[in-house]
Amino acid sequence: MEQFLQQLTNGLAVGGIYALIALGYTMVYGVLKLINFAHGDLFTYGAYLGMTLLTSLLLQGRLGAVGGVLVLALMVMGLVGLLGVILERAAYRPLRESPRLSAVVSALGASIFLQNALMLIYGARFQVYPEGILPQRAVNVLGLQVPLMRIVVVLVTLVMMAALYLFVQKTKIGTAIRAAAIDQGAARLMGIDVNRVISLVFLIGPALGGAAGLLVGLYYGQINFTMGWIYGMKAFTAAIIGGIGNIPGAMVGGLLLGVVEALGAGYVSVAWKDAIAFLVLILILIVRPTGLLGERVAEKV
Amino acid sequence: MKNAVRLALALALGLSAMGTARAADTIKIGLMAPMTGSWASEGQEMKRNVEMLAAEQNAKGGLLGKQVEVVVEDDGGDPRTASLAAQRLTTKGVVAVLGTYGSAVTEASQGIFDEAKIIQVANGSTAVRLTEKGLKYFFRTCPRDDEQGRVGAATIEKLKAKRIALLHDNSAYSKGLADEIHTLLKAKGANVVFFEALTPKEQDYSAILTKLKAAGPDVVFFTGYYPEGGLLLKQKKQMGWNVPFIGGDAINNPDLVKIAGKEAAAGFMFLSPPVPKDLDTPSARAYVSSYQKKYGEAPASIYGVLAGDGFRVVAAAIEATKSTSSDKVREYLVNGMKDFPGLTGKIAFNAKGDRVGELYRVYKVDRDGGFVLQP
Repeated sequence: MEQFLQQLTNGLAVGGIYALIALGYTMVYGVLKLINFAHGDLFTYGAYLGMTLLTSLLLQGRLGAVGGVLVLALMVMGLVGLLGVILERAAYRPLRESPRLSAVVSALGASIFLQNALMLIYGARFQVYPEGILPQRAVNVLGLQVPLMRIVVVLVTLVMMAALYLFVQKTKIGTAIRAAAIDQGAARLMGIDVNRVISLVFLIGPALGGAAGLLVGLYYGQINFTMGWIYGMKAFTAAIIGGIGNIPGAMVGGLLLGVVEALGAGYVSVAWKDAIAFLVLILILIVRPTGLLGERVAEKV
Repeated sequence: MKNAVRLALALALGLSAMGTARAADTIKIGLMAPMTGSWASEGQEMKRNVEMLAAEQNAKGGLLGKQVEVVVEDDGGDPRTASLAAQRLTTKGVVAVLGTYGSAVTEASQGIFDEAKIIQVANGSTAVRLTEKGLKYFFRTCPRDDEQGRVGAATIEKLKAKRIALLHDNSAYSKGLADEIHTLLKAKGANVVFFEALTPKEQDYSAILTKLKAAGPDVVFFTGYYPEGGLLLKQKKQMGWNVPFIGGDAINNPDLVKIAGKEAAAGFMFLSPPVPKDLDTPSARAYVSSYQKKYGEAPASIYGVLAGDGFRVVAAAIEATKSTSSDKVREYLVNGMKDFPGLTGKIAFNAKGDRVGELYRVYKVDRDGGFVLQP
């Protein structure tokens, strides 16, 4: 039982990261019907920018550990969000009226460009976050030894996901995003500036991805320029499990994928972990082709 | 355009004519090394070691009254490039070839040199199968992975561990080493409670660590590489679990400590051939200091020094047999050479071309992240 609970917390921490990245995939898909393959690389940029700012500005020394990391997170999110907006302007907007396949190819190209640019700037070696920014301690939760950072990761993800959900559901701008997702033409007729909505989506999605990158850097410490590929793949899977285009679906899909992976590794075989996770994906898609929470978006596609 | 081609042809002919003319008065020794690619730093060190030794040999009057010439070919750390490099070397009249570093790369060149009857002395290729093919002219100055397995099993025994966990990453090297240790431990009746693989290049290994912890081992032997090793140590510490970890020679990289953090890495042990700073014979120390004088830094990689040892055994064999015939040199290396004072310890070869004797040592990471040789 103890091992089961331990694996559950392991899975939730990894799943939280997947969910945070999956939000970016799902938001872009919801509005543009485009899989942004460069999203995983924007996540990697978050991790690298976090490391660079951390080592060059030394915020944690000036503002304390918590304050420093908070300011750092805002800076990283802002920069990666800006990168997302530029990416949309440069790689996707010129192709808005072209066949959808062209945009997919452009996305793949953007991914390769971003990844190689990172390699040329930082080199191909593993990069390491400075030590001792946040406490590497384990705390006792109901008899379980859980690393403190893992609780922080899960809490941060949950807060960000909830904030995004409320923003999209309750605010006027959020309503505009939903309107653009349902019918861009009609939204335009209602006086919504669709281009600005799309820019906003490309600001929020990558900003969350960048935050996930920073969390990964702070928690695991070791980053490399190809890591966006694996995380992006898993997050994309999570978005599909939950029903792509659906924000709560991305959260559910991400957490579920993380937990399935951890339990698969713990009780079946570590080497077969990914195979088990993808088997679950296939089973879910057989039973519910639109994903777990995907029904509502199915009508509008 | 036509003229340019003619000019190039003429130049090529002229150059090759010069090449054959010079072949008569020098003894050529080939060096196949990864000068480019991800192992380029290893290749650069191999070249430095061998060129320095060749210059020293020439200052003493060369070999058999002739000057020694080192012919470097780049294998790019890639088997396909290596087979081309090997073919080029066979046409250049080399007596012997030193190198190369990676096992798969060496494997791609072995057949070519064997067919051309050229002695090959590899310096970093530890895969067992390389010397199990019955190739007559192949030697290596580095140890084999099964020797590492033996030392690994002995180290585990010395720790008096009752419950042993083995963890690998499914790569040929890592799984091979884990299998080797597993077989040896089982033969001695040890209790192996965990034997599984992780997926390399991931970042979260908490699931496998939780599973490992549940198996309750006294010691964990991880046979993979340093990026995963560092993360395992770090996450083990975060879990508040204090089981000793041991690693194989692919762990020997200072980045391990950077990834794990000094606190989590302290006490970690790994097997490795001695790092150059720990070479203990007087001749090796003199060698390291003259290397430092020439290049401004001490040799960092043991595999570069092992390439230097390759040069020295070939030179010794040519001098002893007063011949550059591959058959005579081979005969001497297998049967004539006993306890040759190499830079990395005594050298002798068995009939397979493997180095005889133990080279692996046990290292421990200290509190400051340094690698300390264990007695």
